[in-house]
Amino acid sequence: MSPHLKIENLTMKYEDRTVLNEINLEFVGGELTAIVGSNGSGKTTLLQGLSGLKQLDEGQVLLNGKNIKSISRKNLARQIAVLTQREELQLDLTVEELVWHGRHPHQSLFKQQTMKDREAVDKAMEAANIKHFAKRRLTKLSEGERQRAWIALTLAQEPHILILDEPTNFLDLGHQVKILSLLEELNRDNGITIIVVLHDLTLAGRFAQRIIGLDNGFVAFDGAPKDVLEREILEKVFGTSMLILEEPQTGEPIPLPLLKHHENN
Amino acid sequence: MFQGSFRNIRVLFALSGIITLAAVLLFSLIFGSLNLSLSEVVSGLTSSESMFARSIVWDIRLPRFLDAAIAGSCLAVAGVLLQGVTRNSLADPTILGITSAAGLGCAIATFVSSFTPQWAIALSSVGGGLLGAGIIYTFSYQGSTSPVRLALAGVALAAFFGAIIVALLATSQLFVQQSLGFLAGGFYGVGWKELYGLLPYAIFGLVAATFFGTRLNILMLGDDQASSLGVLINRTRGGALLIASVLTAAAVSTAGIVSFVGLVCPHIARILVGNDHRLRIPAAALLGAILVSFADLIARIIIAPSELPMGIITAGIGAPFLLYLVRYRI
Repeated sequence: MSPHLKIENLTMKYEDRTVLNEINLEFVGGELTAIVGSNGSGKTTLLQGLSGLKQLDEGQVLLNGKNIKSISRKNLARQIAVLTQREELQLDLTVEELVWHGRHPHQSLFKQQTMKDREAVDKAMEAANIKHFAKRRLTKLSEGERQRAWIALTLAQEPHILILDEPTNFLDLGHQVKILSLLEELNRDNGITIIVVLHDLTLAGRFAQRIIGLDNGFVAFDGAPKDVLEREILEKVFGTSMLILEEPQTGEPIPLPLLKHHENN
Repeated sequence: MFQGSFRNIRVLFALSGIITLAAVLLFSLIFGSLNLSLSEVVSGLTSSESMFARSIVWDIRLPRFLDAAIAGSCLAVAGVLLQGVTRNSLADPTILGITSAAGLGCAIATFVSSFTPQWAIALSSVGGGLLGAGIIYTFSYQGSTSPVRLALAGVALAAFFGAIIVALLATSQLFVQQSLGFLAGGFYGVGWKELYGLLPYAIFGLVAATFFGTRLNILMLGDDQASSLGVLINRTRGGALLIASVLTAAAVSTAGIVSFVGLVCPHIARILVGNDHRLRIPAAALLGAILVSFADLIARIIIAPSELPMGIITAGIGAPFLLYLVRYRI
Protein backbone atom coordinates (compact mmCIF):
# COMPACT_ATOMS: atom_id res chain seq x y z
CA MET A 1 0.00 0.00 0.00
CA SER A 2 1.41 3.36 -0.87
CA PRO A 3 1.79 5.50 2.22
CA HIS A 4 -0.40 8.42 2.95
CA LEU A 5 0.74 11.15 5.28
CA LYS A 6 -1.68 13.78 6.41
CA ILE A 7 -1.13 16.82 8.61
CA GLU A 8 -4.15 18.32 10.29
CA ASN A 9 -4.15 21.75 11.95
CA LEU A 10 -0.52 21.40 12.92
CA THR A 11 0.73 24.10 15.26
CA MET A 12 4.22 24.01 16.73
CA LYS A 13 5.88 26.48 19.04
CA TYR A 14 9.34 27.21 20.36
CA GLU A 15 8.79 28.62 23.81
CA ASP A 16 6.34 31.47 23.10
CA ARG A 17 7.04 31.83 19.41
CA THR A 18 4.65 30.07 17.07
CA VAL A 19 6.78 28.50 14.35
CA LEU A 20 4.06 26.67 12.47
CA ASN A 21 0.49 27.86 12.35
CA GLU A 22 -2.39 25.50 11.74
CA ILE A 23 -0.78 23.74 8.80
CA ASN A 24 -2.87 21.33 6.72
CA LEU A 25 -1.03 19.25 4.17
CA GLU A 26 -1.36 15.90 2.54
CA PHE A 27 1.32 13.72 0.99
CA VAL A 28 0.16 10.90 -1.21
CA GLY A 29 2.40 7.93 -1.96
CA GLY A 30 5.05 8.18 -4.63
CA GLU A 31 5.50 11.94 -4.74
CA LEU A 32 8.76 13.84 -4.62
CA THR A 33 7.99 17.05 -2.78
CA ALA A 34 10.35 19.92 -2.10
CA ILE A 35 9.77 22.27 0.81
CA VAL A 36 11.22 25.74 0.38
CA GLY A 37 11.05 28.97 2.32
CA SER A 38 13.18 31.66 3.86
CA ASN A 39 15.33 31.05 6.94
CA GLY A 40 13.20 30.61 10.04
CA SER A 41 10.04 29.96 8.05
CA GLY A 42 9.49 26.65 9.84
CA LYS A 43 10.83 24.11 7.33
CA THR A 44 12.90 22.06 9.76
CA THR A 45 10.18 22.25 12.42
CA LEU A 46 7.66 20.96 9.88
CA LEU A 47 9.89 17.97 9.13
CA GLN A 48 10.36 17.30 12.85
CA GLY A 49 6.61 17.39 13.42
CA LEU A 50 5.92 15.31 10.36
CA SER A 51 8.31 12.56 11.41
CA GLY A 52 7.36 12.54 15.08
CA LEU A 53 10.74 13.86 16.28
CA LYS A 54 9.16 16.81 18.09
CA GLN A 55 5.94 17.02 20.01
CA LEU A 56 3.12 18.89 18.37
CA ASP A 57 1.48 21.72 20.26
CA GLU A 58 -1.77 21.29 18.38
CA GLY A 59 -3.13 19.16 15.57
CA GLN A 60 -2.09 15.72 14.48
CA VAL A 61 -0.10 13.82 11.89
CA LEU A 62 -1.75 10.74 10.41
CA LEU A 63 0.16 7.95 8.69
CA ASN A 64 -2.25 5.84 6.68
CA GLY A 65 -5.03 7.20 8.86
CA LYS A 66 -3.30 6.41 12.15
CA ASN A 67 -2.03 9.10 14.50
CA ILE A 68 1.76 8.75 14.57
CA LYS A 69 1.72 9.39 18.32
CA SER A 70 0.14 5.98 18.73
CA ILE A 71 2.80 4.25 16.61
CA SER A 72 5.90 3.01 18.45
CA ARG A 73 9.18 4.75 17.64
CA LYS A 74 10.66 1.62 16.08
CA ASN A 75 7.60 0.84 14.02
CA LEU A 76 7.56 4.42 12.78
CA ALA A 77 11.26 4.13 11.91
CA ARG A 78 10.45 1.18 9.65
CA GLN A 79 8.08 3.39 7.66
CA ILE A 80 9.53 6.88 7.81
CA ALA A 81 13.28 7.51 7.54
CA VAL A 82 14.68 10.92 8.30
CA LEU A 83 17.99 12.47 7.40
CA THR A 84 18.40 15.35 9.81
CA GLN A 85 20.79 18.26 9.55
CA ARG A 86 23.79 17.10 11.48
CA GLU A 87 25.88 18.76 14.09
CA GLU A 88 29.59 18.56 13.46
CA LEU A 89 30.13 14.95 14.40
CA GLN A 90 33.52 13.33 14.14
CA LEU A 91 32.29 9.79 13.71
CA ASP A 92 35.01 7.21 13.68
CA LEU A 93 33.05 4.70 11.62
CA THR A 94 33.37 3.09 8.24
CA VAL A 95 30.69 3.71 5.63
CA GLU A 96 29.36 0.20 6.04
CA GLU A 97 29.18 0.48 9.82
CA LEU A 98 27.14 3.67 9.45
CA VAL A 99 24.74 2.07 6.99
CA TRP A 100 24.25 -0.92 9.32
CA HIS A 101 22.76 1.43 11.90
CA GLY A 102 19.85 1.84 9.51
CA ARG A 103 18.81 -1.71 10.35
CA HIS A 104 18.19 -0.89 14.00
CA PRO A 105 14.40 -0.51 13.61
CA HIS A 106 14.26 -4.03 12.16
CA GLN A 107 16.36 -5.63 14.86
CA SER A 108 15.54 -6.70 18.37
CA LEU A 109 17.42 -8.23 21.26
CA PHE A 110 16.93 -11.71 19.88
CA LYS A 111 16.98 -10.87 16.19
CA GLN A 112 20.22 -9.23 15.17
CA GLN A 113 22.08 -9.19 11.90
CA THR A 114 20.02 -11.57 9.84
CA MET A 115 20.66 -12.33 6.18
CA LYS A 116 17.83 -9.96 5.39
CA ASP A 117 19.68 -7.17 7.18
CA ARG A 118 22.84 -7.93 5.20
CA GLU A 119 20.88 -7.80 1.95
CA ALA A 120 19.19 -4.54 2.87
CA VAL A 121 22.54 -2.95 3.72
CA ASP A 122 24.04 -4.11 0.42
CA LYS A 123 21.05 -2.88 -1.50
CA ALA A 124 21.11 0.50 0.22
CA MET A 125 24.81 0.94 -0.53
CA GLU A 126 24.26 -0.07 -4.10
CA ALA A 127 21.40 2.36 -4.56
CA ALA A 128 23.45 5.21 -3.10
CA ASN A 129 26.39 4.12 -5.25
CA ILE A 130 28.81 3.88 -2.34
CA LYS A 131 29.62 0.20 -2.37
CA HIS A 132 33.09 0.76 -3.76
CA PHE A 133 34.09 2.70 -0.66
CA ALA A 134 32.12 0.71 1.91
CA LYS A 135 35.21 0.01 4.00
CA ARG A 136 36.48 3.59 4.05
CA ARG A 137 36.15 5.73 7.14
CA LEU A 138 33.61 8.55 7.10
CA THR A 139 36.26 11.05 8.10
CA LYS A 140 38.22 10.25 4.95
CA LEU A 141 35.34 11.01 2.55
CA SER A 142 34.45 14.15 0.65
CA GLU A 143 31.30 15.97 1.75
CA GLY A 144 29.36 14.60 -1.23
CA GLU A 145 30.43 11.00 -0.61
CA ARG A 146 29.61 11.32 3.08
CA GLN A 147 26.15 12.63 2.30
CA ARG A 148 25.52 9.60 0.08
CA ALA A 149 26.61 7.34 2.93
CA TRP A 150 24.07 9.00 5.23
CA ILE A 151 21.36 8.61 2.60
CA ALA A 152 22.27 4.91 2.39
CA LEU A 153 21.74 4.71 6.15
CA THR A 154 18.16 5.89 5.70
CA LEU A 155 17.64 3.52 2.75
CA ALA A 156 18.74 0.57 4.88
CA GLN A 157 15.67 1.32 7.00
CA GLU A 158 13.64 0.31 3.93
CA PRO A 159 11.24 3.17 4.52
CA HIS A 160 8.14 4.02 2.51
CA ILE A 161 8.70 7.68 3.16
CA LEU A 162 12.05 9.45 3.17
CA ILE A 163 12.32 12.90 4.72
CA LEU A 164 15.52 14.91 4.24
CA ASP A 165 16.48 18.25 5.76
CA GLU A 166 18.68 20.22 3.37
CA PRO A 167 20.70 17.26 2.11
CA THR A 168 22.49 19.44 -0.43
CA ASN A 169 23.95 21.88 2.08
CA PHE A 170 27.66 22.53 1.70
CA LEU A 171 27.80 20.67 -1.61
CA ASP A 172 29.01 22.11 -4.90
CA LEU A 173 26.57 22.24 -7.80
CA GLY A 174 27.75 18.97 -9.31
CA HIS A 175 27.26 17.09 -6.06
CA GLN A 176 23.92 18.78 -5.42
CA VAL A 177 22.69 17.49 -8.76
CA LYS A 178 24.06 14.02 -7.98
CA ILE A 179 22.23 13.84 -4.65
CA LEU A 180 18.96 15.08 -6.15
CA SER A 181 19.29 12.68 -9.09
CA LEU A 182 19.73 9.89 -6.57
CA LEU A 183 16.54 10.96 -4.77
CA GLU A 184 14.69 11.19 -8.08
CA GLU A 185 15.84 7.68 -8.94
CA LEU A 186 14.77 6.30 -5.57
CA ASN A 187 11.41 7.94 -6.01
CA ARG A 188 10.94 6.67 -9.57
CA ASP A 189 12.42 3.16 -9.31
CA ASN A 190 11.66 2.21 -5.71
CA GLY A 191 8.47 4.20 -5.29
CA ILE A 192 9.71 5.91 -2.11
CA THR A 193 7.76 9.00 -1.17
CA ILE A 194 10.29 11.78 -0.72
CA ILE A 195 9.91 15.04 1.16
CA VAL A 196 13.00 17.21 1.00
CA VAL A 197 13.85 20.68 2.26
CA LEU A 198 15.84 22.62 -0.31
CA HIS A 199 17.15 26.15 -0.58
CA ASP A 200 17.79 26.25 -4.30
CA LEU A 201 14.53 27.07 -6.09
CA THR A 202 15.89 26.21 -9.52
CA LEU A 203 16.93 22.74 -8.43
CA ALA A 204 13.67 22.31 -6.52
CA GLY A 205 11.80 23.20 -9.72
CA ARG A 206 13.80 20.76 -11.80
CA PHE A 207 13.55 17.73 -9.54
CA ALA A 208 10.36 17.97 -7.51
CA GLN A 209 6.89 17.18 -8.73
CA ARG A 210 5.47 19.43 -6.08
CA ILE A 211 6.81 22.44 -4.21
CA ILE A 212 5.52 23.69 -0.88
CA GLY A 213 6.60 27.17 0.14
CA LEU A 214 6.54 28.15 3.80
CA ASP A 215 6.39 31.74 4.95
CA ASN A 216 6.44 32.64 8.64
CA GLY A 217 4.81 29.42 9.70
CA PHE A 218 2.11 29.43 7.03
CA VAL A 219 1.87 27.56 3.74
CA ALA A 220 2.39 30.31 1.17
CA PHE A 221 2.11 28.10 -1.89
CA ASP A 222 1.70 24.46 -2.76
CA GLY A 223 1.61 22.93 -6.21
CA ALA A 224 3.48 21.80 -9.31
CA PRO A 225 6.61 23.86 -10.07
CA LYS A 226 5.14 25.45 -13.17
CA ASP A 227 2.13 26.63 -11.16
CA VAL A 228 3.86 28.02 -8.10
CA LEU A 229 7.22 29.33 -9.29
CA GLU A 230 5.70 32.64 -10.19
CA ARG A 231 7.17 36.06 -9.74
CA GLU A 232 4.60 37.59 -7.37
CA ILE A 233 4.50 34.52 -5.14
CA LEU A 234 8.27 34.18 -4.80
CA GLU A 235 8.82 37.91 -4.31
CA LYS A 236 6.40 37.89 -1.41
CA VAL A 237 7.89 34.82 0.25
CA PHE A 238 11.57 35.65 -0.19
CA GLY A 239 11.32 39.43 -0.08
CA THR A 240 13.44 39.98 -3.14
CA SER A 241 12.68 40.92 -6.74
CA MET A 242 12.53 37.95 -9.06
CA LEU A 243 12.62 37.16 -12.72
CA ILE A 244 11.18 33.91 -14.05
CA LEU A 245 12.89 32.52 -17.16
CA GLU A 246 11.78 29.57 -19.21
CA GLU A 247 13.86 26.50 -19.86
CA PRO A 248 14.16 26.57 -23.66
CA GLN A 249 13.31 22.92 -24.25
CA THR A 250 10.80 21.96 -21.58
CA GLY A 251 9.39 25.33 -20.69
CA GLU A 252 10.03 24.74 -17.00
CA PRO A 253 10.21 27.93 -14.94
CA ILE A 254 13.66 29.02 -13.79
CA PRO A 255 13.45 31.57 -10.96
CA LEU A 256 16.23 34.12 -10.88
CA PRO A 257 16.74 36.79 -8.24
CA LEU A 258 16.82 40.26 -9.67
CA LEU A 259 19.54 42.50 -8.31
CA LYS A 260 19.37 46.25 -7.77
CA HIS A 261 21.49 47.18 -10.80
CA HIS A 262 19.33 44.91 -13.00
CA GLU A 263 16.20 46.74 -11.93
CA ASN A 264 17.73 50.11 -12.76
CA ASN A 265 18.52 49.08 -16.32
CA MET B 1 28.40 -5.68 11.72
CA PHE B 2 31.92 -4.46 12.47
CA GLN B 3 33.28 -7.77 11.33
CA GLY B 4 36.34 -8.49 9.29
CA SER B 5 40.02 -8.90 9.75
CA PHE B 6 40.05 -7.28 13.19
CA ARG B 7 38.17 -10.13 14.80
CA ASN B 8 41.31 -12.17 15.44
CA ILE B 9 43.11 -9.17 16.90
CA ARG B 10 40.23 -8.64 19.27
CA VAL B 11 40.33 -12.23 20.43
CA LEU B 12 44.03 -11.73 21.01
CA PHE B 13 43.36 -8.59 23.07
CA ALA B 14 40.77 -10.44 25.13
CA LEU B 15 43.12 -13.35 25.76
CA SER B 16 46.06 -11.15 26.71
CA GLY B 17 43.77 -9.19 29.01
CA ILE B 18 42.64 -12.30 30.80
CA ILE B 19 46.18 -13.59 31.10
CA THR B 20 47.36 -10.24 32.47
CA LEU B 21 44.55 -10.23 35.02
CA ALA B 22 45.47 -13.77 36.06
CA ALA B 23 49.08 -12.68 36.47
CA VAL B 24 48.03 -9.73 38.64
CA LEU B 25 45.95 -12.15 40.71
CA LEU B 26 48.93 -14.43 41.22
CA PHE B 27 51.25 -11.57 42.17
CA SER B 28 48.57 -10.14 44.46
CA LEU B 29 48.43 -13.43 46.33
CA ILE B 30 52.22 -13.76 46.54
CA PHE B 31 53.37 -10.24 47.33
CA GLY B 32 52.51 -7.96 50.20
CA SER B 33 53.94 -6.78 53.47
CA LEU B 34 55.00 -10.41 53.74
CA ASN B 35 55.94 -12.35 50.61
CA LEU B 36 54.72 -15.92 50.27
CA SER B 37 56.07 -18.71 48.14
CA LEU B 38 53.99 -20.20 45.36
CA SER B 39 53.43 -23.41 47.32
CA GLU B 40 52.24 -21.40 50.33
CA VAL B 41 49.76 -19.59 48.07
CA VAL B 42 48.49 -22.87 46.67
CA SER B 43 48.12 -24.44 50.09
CA GLY B 44 46.43 -21.27 51.38
CA LEU B 45 43.90 -21.48 48.57
CA THR B 46 43.21 -25.18 48.72
CA SER B 47 43.55 -26.32 52.30
CA SER B 48 43.32 -25.12 55.86
CA GLU B 49 46.43 -26.97 56.94
CA SER B 50 48.54 -23.88 57.40
CA MET B 51 46.41 -21.40 59.28
CA PHE B 52 48.98 -18.74 58.53
CA ALA B 53 48.90 -19.10 54.72
CA ARG B 54 45.16 -19.67 54.79
CA SER B 55 44.44 -16.46 56.63
CA ILE B 56 46.72 -14.33 54.46
CA VAL B 57 45.71 -15.77 51.10
CA TRP B 58 42.08 -16.68 51.62
CA ASP B 59 40.93 -14.15 54.18
CA ILE B 60 42.93 -11.11 53.11
CA ARG B 61 44.55 -11.12 49.70
CA LEU B 62 42.03 -13.00 47.53
CA PRO B 63 38.94 -11.02 48.59
CA ARG B 64 40.91 -7.82 48.31
CA PHE B 65 41.96 -8.68 44.75
CA LEU B 66 38.36 -9.53 43.84
CA ASP B 67 37.13 -6.30 45.41
CA ALA B 68 39.65 -4.30 43.41
CA ALA B 69 39.01 -6.11 40.12
CA ILE B 70 35.22 -5.83 40.36
CA ALA B 71 35.29 -2.21 41.54
CA GLY B 72 37.61 -1.43 38.62
CA SER B 73 35.23 -3.08 36.15
CA CYS B 74 32.30 -1.16 37.59
CA LEU B 75 34.04 2.21 37.29
CA ALA B 76 35.33 1.53 33.78
CA VAL B 77 31.92 0.43 32.48
CA ALA B 78 30.26 3.38 34.20
CA GLY B 79 32.73 5.55 32.29
CA VAL B 80 31.80 3.99 28.93
CA LEU B 81 28.10 4.49 29.62
CA LEU B 82 28.58 8.10 30.65
CA GLN B 83 30.83 8.96 27.71
CA GLY B 84 28.25 7.35 25.45
CA VAL B 85 25.20 9.17 26.76
CA THR B 86 26.89 12.54 27.00
CA ARG B 87 28.76 12.09 23.70
CA ASN B 88 31.57 13.71 25.64
CA SER B 89 34.91 11.97 25.78
CA LEU B 90 35.76 13.71 29.05
CA ALA B 91 32.74 12.39 30.90
CA ASP B 92 33.39 9.99 33.77
CA PRO B 93 31.74 9.22 37.09
CA THR B 94 34.03 11.62 38.95
CA ILE B 95 33.63 14.56 36.58
CA LEU B 96 29.85 14.12 36.48
CA GLY B 97 29.72 14.18 40.28
CA ILE B 98 28.32 10.69 40.70
CA THR B 99 31.40 9.47 42.59
CA SER B 100 31.06 12.30 45.08
CA ALA B 101 27.33 11.74 45.43
CA ALA B 102 27.88 8.04 46.13
CA GLY B 103 30.81 8.93 48.40
CA LEU B 104 28.52 11.21 50.38
CA GLY B 105 26.12 8.29 50.79
CA CYS B 106 28.97 6.17 52.18
CA ALA B 107 30.28 8.93 54.38
CA ILE B 108 26.84 9.48 55.92
CA ALA B 109 26.42 5.75 56.56
CA THR B 110 29.80 5.51 58.28
CA PHE B 111 29.29 8.80 60.08
CA VAL B 112 26.02 7.64 61.67
CA SER B 113 27.79 4.75 63.35
CA SER B 114 31.17 3.12 62.99
CA PHE B 115 29.36 -0.24 63.20
CA THR B 116 27.16 0.33 60.16
CA PRO B 117 26.95 -3.02 58.32
CA GLN B 118 28.49 -3.20 54.86
CA TRP B 119 25.19 -3.84 53.08
CA ALA B 120 23.88 -0.60 54.55
CA ILE B 121 26.97 1.29 53.44
CA ALA B 122 26.60 -0.10 49.91
CA LEU B 123 22.89 0.72 49.89
CA SER B 124 23.52 4.23 51.13
CA SER B 125 26.21 4.62 48.47
CA VAL B 126 23.82 3.51 45.73
CA GLY B 127 21.19 5.85 47.15
CA GLY B 128 23.66 8.71 47.02
CA GLY B 129 24.74 7.84 43.49
CA LEU B 130 21.16 7.67 42.23
CA LEU B 131 20.30 10.91 43.98
CA GLY B 132 23.30 12.55 42.32
CA ALA B 133 22.34 11.21 38.91
CA GLY B 134 18.76 12.36 39.49
CA ILE B 135 19.92 15.86 40.37
CA ILE B 136 22.17 16.04 37.31
CA TYR B 137 19.39 14.80 35.06
CA THR B 138 16.82 17.18 36.51
CA PHE B 139 19.05 20.20 36.25
CA SER B 140 20.30 19.42 32.78
CA TYR B 141 16.94 18.36 31.38
CA GLN B 142 15.12 21.01 29.40
CA GLY B 143 12.90 19.14 27.01
CA SER B 144 15.88 16.97 26.25
CA THR B 145 19.23 16.38 27.88
CA SER B 146 22.17 18.02 26.15
CA PRO B 147 25.70 16.71 26.68
CA VAL B 148 27.04 20.11 27.68
CA ARG B 149 24.39 20.76 30.31
CA LEU B 150 24.89 17.27 31.72
CA ALA B 151 28.66 17.80 32.10
CA LEU B 152 28.33 21.26 33.64
CA ALA B 153 25.73 20.10 36.15
CA GLY B 154 28.09 17.26 37.06
CA VAL B 155 31.04 19.53 37.73
CA ALA B 156 28.93 21.65 40.09
CA LEU B 157 27.63 18.57 41.88
CA ALA B 158 31.11 17.06 42.28
CA ALA B 159 32.43 20.20 43.94
CA PHE B 160 29.45 20.55 46.25
CA PHE B 161 29.23 16.94 47.43
CA GLY B 162 33.01 16.67 47.65
CA ALA B 163 33.05 19.54 50.13
CA ILE B 164 30.35 17.93 52.29
CA ILE B 165 32.26 14.64 52.36
CA VAL B 166 35.41 16.34 53.60
CA ALA B 167 33.41 18.16 56.24
CA LEU B 168 31.81 14.90 57.41
CA LEU B 169 35.08 13.00 57.51
CA ALA B 170 36.84 15.82 59.31
CA THR B 171 34.31 15.66 62.13
CA SER B 172 33.94 11.86 62.20
CA GLN B 173 35.56 9.31 64.48
CA LEU B 174 37.46 7.66 61.63
CA PHE B 175 41.20 7.28 61.75
CA VAL B 176 43.15 9.58 59.47
CA GLN B 177 44.35 6.66 57.37
CA GLN B 178 40.79 5.44 56.83
CA SER B 179 39.61 8.91 55.91
CA LEU B 180 42.52 9.45 53.57
CA GLY B 181 42.02 6.00 52.08
CA PHE B 182 38.40 6.86 51.41
CA LEU B 183 39.13 10.26 49.88
CA ALA B 184 42.01 9.10 47.73
CA GLY B 185 40.46 5.71 47.00
CA GLY B 186 41.83 2.40 48.16
CA PHE B 187 41.20 -1.03 49.58
CA TYR B 188 42.81 -0.71 52.98
CA GLY B 189 41.44 -3.52 55.11
CA VAL B 190 38.62 -4.61 52.80
CA GLY B 191 37.68 -8.28 52.51
CA TRP B 192 34.81 -10.68 51.85
CA LYS B 193 32.31 -8.54 53.73
CA GLU B 194 32.86 -5.61 51.36
CA LEU B 195 32.78 -7.94 48.38
CA TYR B 196 29.34 -9.24 49.34
CA GLY B 197 28.10 -5.67 49.73
CA LEU B 198 29.38 -4.74 46.30
CA LEU B 199 28.51 -7.86 44.33
CA PRO B 200 24.72 -7.62 43.82
CA TYR B 201 24.96 -4.09 42.43
CA ALA B 202 28.01 -4.93 40.32
CA ILE B 203 26.36 -7.96 38.75
CA PHE B 204 23.14 -6.06 38.06
CA GLY B 205 24.99 -3.08 36.61
CA LEU B 206 27.48 -5.00 34.48
CA VAL B 207 24.80 -7.24 32.99
CA ALA B 208 22.41 -4.35 32.38
CA ALA B 209 25.16 -2.30 30.72
CA THR B 210 25.60 -4.89 27.98
CA PHE B 211 22.04 -4.20 26.82
CA PHE B 212 22.93 -0.59 26.05
CA GLY B 213 25.70 -1.21 23.51
CA THR B 214 23.66 -0.89 20.33
CA ARG B 215 21.66 2.06 21.50
CA LEU B 216 24.78 3.94 22.59
CA ASN B 217 26.24 3.28 19.14
CA ILE B 218 23.23 4.88 17.51
CA LEU B 219 23.17 7.76 19.96
CA MET B 220 26.54 8.74 18.53
CA LEU B 221 24.73 9.79 15.33
CA GLY B 222 23.03 12.68 17.13
CA ASP B 223 19.76 12.83 19.06
CA ASP B 224 17.34 13.50 16.21
CA GLN B 225 18.95 10.97 13.91
CA ALA B 226 18.97 8.33 16.66
CA SER B 227 15.37 9.08 17.49
CA SER B 228 14.39 8.71 13.84
CA LEU B 229 16.06 5.29 13.90
CA GLY B 230 13.72 4.19 16.66
CA VAL B 231 15.84 4.85 19.76
CA LEU B 232 13.97 6.37 22.71
CA ILE B 233 16.49 9.05 23.55
CA ASN B 234 15.52 10.12 27.04
CA ARG B 235 14.80 6.61 28.20
CA THR B 236 18.19 5.44 26.91
CA ARG B 237 20.00 8.37 28.51
CA GLY B 238 18.14 8.00 31.78
CA GLY B 239 18.66 4.22 31.87
CA ALA B 240 22.36 4.40 31.12
CA LEU B 241 22.81 7.16 33.68
CA LEU B 242 21.00 5.06 36.28
CA ILE B 243 23.12 1.99 35.62
CA ALA B 244 26.32 4.04 35.60
CA SER B 245 25.32 5.44 39.00
CA VAL B 246 24.67 2.00 40.48
CA LEU B 247 28.03 0.76 39.17
CA THR B 248 29.89 3.79 40.47
CA ALA B 249 28.21 3.57 43.84
CA ALA B 250 29.02 -0.12 44.12
CA ALA B 251 32.70 0.65 43.52
CA VAL B 252 32.72 3.63 45.87
CA SER B 253 31.22 1.57 48.69
CA THR B 254 34.40 -0.50 48.87
CA ALA B 255 37.07 1.62 47.20
CA GLY B 256 36.17 5.16 48.22
CA ILE B 257 36.68 7.96 45.74
CA VAL B 258 38.74 6.58 42.88
CA SER B 259 39.37 8.98 40.02
CA PHE B 260 40.61 8.44 36.48
CA VAL B 261 39.61 4.77 36.12
CA GLY B 262 36.24 5.65 34.60
CA LEU B 263 37.91 8.16 32.33
CA VAL B 264 40.99 6.30 31.17
CA CYS B 265 39.72 2.73 30.68
CA PRO B 266 36.99 3.64 28.16
CA HIS B 267 39.59 5.48 26.10
CA ILE B 268 42.08 2.62 26.13
CA ALA B 269 39.19 0.30 25.23
CA ARG B 270 38.35 2.52 22.28
CA ILE B 271 41.93 2.52 21.08
CA LEU B 272 42.04 -1.29 21.34
CA VAL B 273 38.63 -2.38 20.03
CA GLY B 274 37.21 0.71 18.33
CA ASN B 275 34.02 2.67 18.78
CA ASP B 276 31.49 -0.14 18.91
CA HIS B 277 30.04 0.05 22.42
CA ARG B 278 29.09 -3.62 22.32
CA LEU B 279 32.81 -4.38 22.36
CA ARG B 280 33.90 -1.36 24.30
CA ILE B 281 31.84 -2.29 27.37
CA PRO B 282 33.42 -5.73 27.98
CA ALA B 283 36.86 -4.43 26.98
CA ALA B 284 36.62 -1.57 29.47
CA ALA B 285 35.42 -3.98 32.15
CA LEU B 286 38.51 -6.11 31.67
CA LEU B 287 40.83 -3.11 31.57
CA GLY B 288 39.26 -1.62 34.69
CA ALA B 289 39.77 -4.88 36.54
CA ILE B 290 43.42 -5.02 35.49
CA LEU B 291 44.16 -1.37 36.18
CA VAL B 292 42.64 -1.22 39.66
CA SER B 293 43.88 -4.60 40.87
CA PHE B 294 47.35 -3.80 39.56
CA ALA B 295 47.27 -0.34 41.17
CA ASP B 296 46.21 -1.93 44.45
CA LEU B 297 49.07 -4.41 44.24
CA ILE B 298 51.55 -1.59 43.74
CA ALA B 299 49.93 0.44 46.53
CA ARG B 300 50.41 -2.50 48.91
CA ILE B 301 54.00 -3.31 48.09
CA ILE B 302 55.65 -0.04 47.15
CA ILE B 303 56.29 1.10 50.74
CA ALA B 304 55.62 -2.27 52.45
CA PRO B 305 54.92 -3.02 55.23
CA SER B 306 53.01 0.27 55.10
CA GLU B 307 50.73 1.03 52.15
CA LEU B 308 49.64 3.94 49.95
CA PRO B 309 46.04 4.77 49.11
CA MET B 310 45.44 2.99 45.80
CA GLY B 311 43.94 6.12 44.20
CA ILE B 312 47.40 7.67 44.18
CA ILE B 313 48.60 4.94 41.84
CA THR B 314 45.58 5.17 39.51
CA ALA B 315 46.04 8.94 39.44
CA GLY B 316 49.74 8.43 38.75
CA ILE B 317 48.88 6.26 35.75
CA GLY B 318 45.71 8.09 34.75
CA ALA B 319 46.85 11.70 34.82
CA PRO B 320 49.73 11.35 32.33
CA PHE B 321 47.50 9.27 30.10
CA LEU B 322 44.80 11.95 30.19
CA LEU B 323 47.41 14.55 29.20
CA TYR B 324 48.43 12.31 26.33
CA LEU B 325 44.79 12.07 25.23
CA VAL B 326 44.32 15.81 25.41
CA ARG B 327 47.42 16.35 23.30
CA TYR B 328 46.98 13.66 20.69
CA ARG B 329 43.56 12.06 20.75
CA ILE B 330 40.87 14.58 21.64
